[in-house]
Amino acid sequence: MNVKNNPADGFETDFWKDDAARKTWDDLVPGAPRKTVPYLLTKEAIQKYCRSVGDLHPLYFDEEYARKSVFGGLIAPPSIHILLMFACTPMDDWMRSPGTINAGQSWSYATPARPGDMIRLEARCLDKFIRKDRLFAVHDNVFFNQKNEVICAGRGWTIRPR
Amino acid sequence: MSTFEDLAEGQTITGEPFSPTRETIREFCEASLDFNPLHLDDNYMQGNFGKTNFGGIIMHGMTNFGLLTRMITDWAYDHGGFHRRLETRWKVPVKPGDVITPRGRLVRLLPTLKSRWVIIEVEIVNQRDEIVAVGEAMVEFPRHEVTA
Repeated sequence: MNVKNNPADGFETDFWKDDAARKTWDDLVPGAPRKTVPYLLTKEAIQKYCRSVGDLHPLYFDEEYARKSVFGGLIAPPSIHILLMFACTPMDDWMRSPGTINAGQSWSYATPARPGDMIRLEARCLDKFIRKDRLFAVHDNVFFNQKNEVICAGRGWTIRPR
Repeated sequence: MSTFEDLAEGQTITGEPFSPTRETIREFCEASLDFNPLHLDDNYMQGNFGKTNFGGIIMHGMTNFGLLTRMITDWAYDHGGFHRRLETRWKVPVKPGDVITPRGRLVRLLPTLKSRWVIIEVEIVNQRDEIVAVGEAMVEFPRHEVTA
């Protein structure tokens, strides 16, 4: 499968482009799975994410330090699912709808993601509701590595454009 | 080595202050692949979102999540713990020029049948002392040395 999940490889950064193909709030069916795509997590992608939040911990950058640690090698920070959410979903995924506002998220962490992991996402819309005239959708996600170990599981509350 | 025994409820943690700029927000777009126009397009952000008008681009809410994670993992790695959960809600949008600081407070130390847990209340405040994000984290301190 040819997956464009890096801007340098042609990842589409114009989120308006495929908007007509995306599910609106009305189209969402709680319980229905979202389409996902596998993603090869690289050291470069991990470190780029880390720099963007100013996190230069040696567990993410220093192979010798990481090898001697309890983790036995370089890992990604737990919050790497921020990148994985967009890396593992196609351009017509409803999370990319322009104007989607993130109201909050909760995540649980099991096994750390590592450079070279082939990441798989299982995701669905879990719930949708209207509160104070705002259209909410809840998304539910589990990321796995190539050994089918759970990396992390989490859900998010989004306010959808009307 | 775990230092669970040395911890006490009420202890506080402070993260590194972060100063988002248009450049750091763009960098986060590139690193997270989240190119929502909320974070890029000033013209689009002149419009209304329901009853809300942001008046310009805003920082990704998930940058708050990344900063809180950094504070918790820095603390957990130093104390022999494992970051296991983070729940967050965003209260106030963050804009270029703001200065935001994560902080946390240990509210509960709880042994379970097979492990030991620390509950940490977390928040992020801006330069006006407004709370922009709130949440709760859980850090695990296994009873025996484990390999992750």
